Amino acid sequence: MTAVNSIIHSISSFVDKLNAVHRMLPWVLAFVLLLPLPQILAAVFNDYYIYLANKICIFILLSVGLNIVKGFCGQVTVGHVGLYAIGAVSSALVSIHFGWSFWLAFPIGILLSGIAGLIVGLPSVRLEGAYLALATLGLGESVRIMIAVTPLFGSSTGLLSIPEPTIGSFVFDNYTKYYYMVMTFAMIGIYLSFSILRSATGRAFMAVREDTVAAAVHGINVAKYKLLAFVISALYAGAAGGLFAHMPPGYIHHNNFTIIEMVTLLLMVVLGGIGHIWGGILGAIIVTIIYDQTLEFYFIQPLLFGMTMILIVIFMPRGIGGVIDRYFMTKKFMKIREENSDGTS
Amino acid sequence: MNKLYKNCLAGGLAGVMVAGMAIGAMAADIRVGITMRMISENGQKYGQMVMDEIDMINKSGGINGNMIKPTLMNDECKSDKGVANAIKLINQQKVHLLIGSTCSSVTLPIVDITAKASVPQIIPHSTNGKITKKGSAWVFRVPVSGRFYAGVNAKYVGENIGKKIAYLCAADAASQNDCEAMQKQMKAQHGSEPAYVAQVQEKEVDFRTHMQKIKSAGVDGILIAALAETMARALIQSYEAGIPASVRRIGSSSASNSPVPTIAGDAAKGVFFAAAYAAADNRPIARLFNEMVKKRYGVHAPDHDFSQAYDLVRIVEIALNNANLKLDSGSLAADRTAIRDSIASIKNYEGLASGPISFCAAATPQCRDGNRTAVLIAYSKGGKDYKTEVLARVTMPADFGL
Repeated sequence: MTAVNSIIHSISSFVDKLNAVHRMLPWVLAFVLLLPLPQILAAVFNDYYIYLANKICIFILLSVGLNIVKGFCGQVTVGHVGLYAIGAVSSALVSIHFGWSFWLAFPIGILLSGIAGLIVGLPSVRLEGAYLALATLGLGESVRIMIAVTPLFGSSTGLLSIPEPTIGSFVFDNYTKYYYMVMTFAMIGIYLSFSILRSATGRAFMAVREDTVAAAVHGINVAKYKLLAFVISALYAGAAGGLFAHMPPGYIHHNNFTIIEMVTLLLMVVLGGIGHIWGGILGAIIVTIIYDQTLEFYFIQPLLFGMTMILIVIFMPRGIGGVIDRYFMTKKFMKIREENSDGTS
Repeated sequence: MNKLYKNCLAGGLAGVMVAGMAIGAMAADIRVGITMRMISENGQKYGQMVMDEIDMINKSGGINGNMIKPTLMNDECKSDKGVANAIKLINQQKVHLLIGSTCSSVTLPIVDITAKASVPQIIPHSTNGKITKKGSAWVFRVPVSGRFYAGVNAKYVGENIGKKIAYLCAADAASQNDCEAMQKQMKAQHGSEPAYVAQVQEKEVDFRTHMQKIKSAGVDGILIAALAETMARALIQSYEAGIPASVRRIGSSSASNSPVPTIAGDAAKGVFFAAAYAAADNRPIARLFNEMVKKRYGVHAPDHDFSQAYDLVRIVEIALNNANLKLDSGSLAADRTAIRDSIASIKNYEGLASGPISFCAAATPQCRDGNRTAVLIAYSKGGKDYKTEVLARVTMPADFGL
């Protein structure tokens, strides 16, 4: 345990030192460290784990985005998967029907998701808690049903042959190449999420989360910030959807956006700890891996998956983020106590 | 004594090594990955049938002394899960052959994965015409393609029932395909436009509004294209709405699944559909198969998804026996190609299926849609002890519906 503590302490102080030089430096280092991951995964395990790394990056984007509206701003939403679907379908459609490059289709998908996010967010101005959850659930499910019954959106067959992204003659046509793209977007997403959290907007979100009346009294435009949280969150979902749609083999189907996917996504955020960015990231990684590792035990998988989650919720009610918080808090108190005892002796 | 001891030890070690190598060579596995929809009772039974039949092959000595090592995974009828399973089976399990999937919407993206990885894929249940139209050299379809079913249904309906047909189309891939193809064929063969068309949810529960509209349209027949449970609900509600039995109910390919007559009860009587197997088939092989399925899985009469799972394993067995497999550490790609070529060389396989199954080398639907014969079946009795009768058996030309 002491060894673990000392490793965490060393990493923490190293990151602090890098931060002191330039706030972007830890991010650049993390990016560089993640670059050889596909080669390591292929060498130690096999190519399948590169595919899994791609999926994890997409889920991280989704989870981090959901955390903004749910964790930072305290708005209950269960329609996030609908926004993810809008990003995926619109980006795919623009690519297939107009033959536009991924680099044009992808932002269009994000933009349309953002607009949809604004619409999904409108009920939040008047509704709260379970009522807001129901309203967003309805909107999320409506999107899926609309895709399922509209031939243009792929209806039952799904959208096939969605082109892979290209840069000049370089095609992101396998999971190793695609990893570099999704990982980059995931890193940007995480960085922006931290930036939002530390900004005046982030503080306004948290004020709205803690007490809407008190926030309004202090001059915060509650409706504006609630809508903004929904829109930012939707932009993340749209980006994740676009990346999912263009990932080889370039196929999406309305079954990819069901309520089960939404619940899985919520589990990632809850497991990670609502309002904790790193917790959400870890939640996305853990849930994806647990789900993957139990795939072969299909007959008991739901039970295994559910039991694992129940045990985590019982023993870690504030999620992984809560455990991390408690660890650092305890350390801080111990340090203060040591300093005090030194002073008194 | 010391020398003798050393010689004995060396001899013993050499013997153990040779035996080990021989066992190693003999114990080489043929790895087969299976991804299927294992979320319904019937879905689990189809998957179990594939596993049980592979187990039987292994118990009877395997393939030229090599055991088949199957890995069965559940794709929940979701494309992303199916793709993940396929990638896992290909890259992690290093399978020689991939079997799957049940759902067309899952099979469609997997075709691209197997084509890219050069892994032979054989399909147990998916009927969507687009699967073989993709032009993959690695894919083979055991079931009858949706394009043939539509032709058979339209011919029978136009000649025996009438041309004023209503269509209820559920949102799953197979049903949509069946519905669209039937409309297309009714127009092509009889110049008939749909009298009524409605799109419904995959698990729709309320058809009353549609049924009232269909009743007032005075149609000759209703095509209900949906998965089994949904179709059963629609059939019951068609009678509740007062549509007479003289308006014939036509089922899509999933009408052959046992939940249709079991849940629909009397409402299933008279429903007819095109399928790849008739439990009413009088051939001895079919009688034995019916008894075996009843005994093993407690199913009153097996549908064509059982027969297709069974036929698929037999075809795989023939192909593996004929393929010259090396099964060593460096021969995976060559073995996969050998299996593909061996499946492609299968001609006129006569099993439980409605017609002979043949494949050929070209990566075209004509070569890869193995079964071109559909059998028209009608339920003569509904309920748990349902009965079926064969109305007709029709073989379509290889390029029909392309």
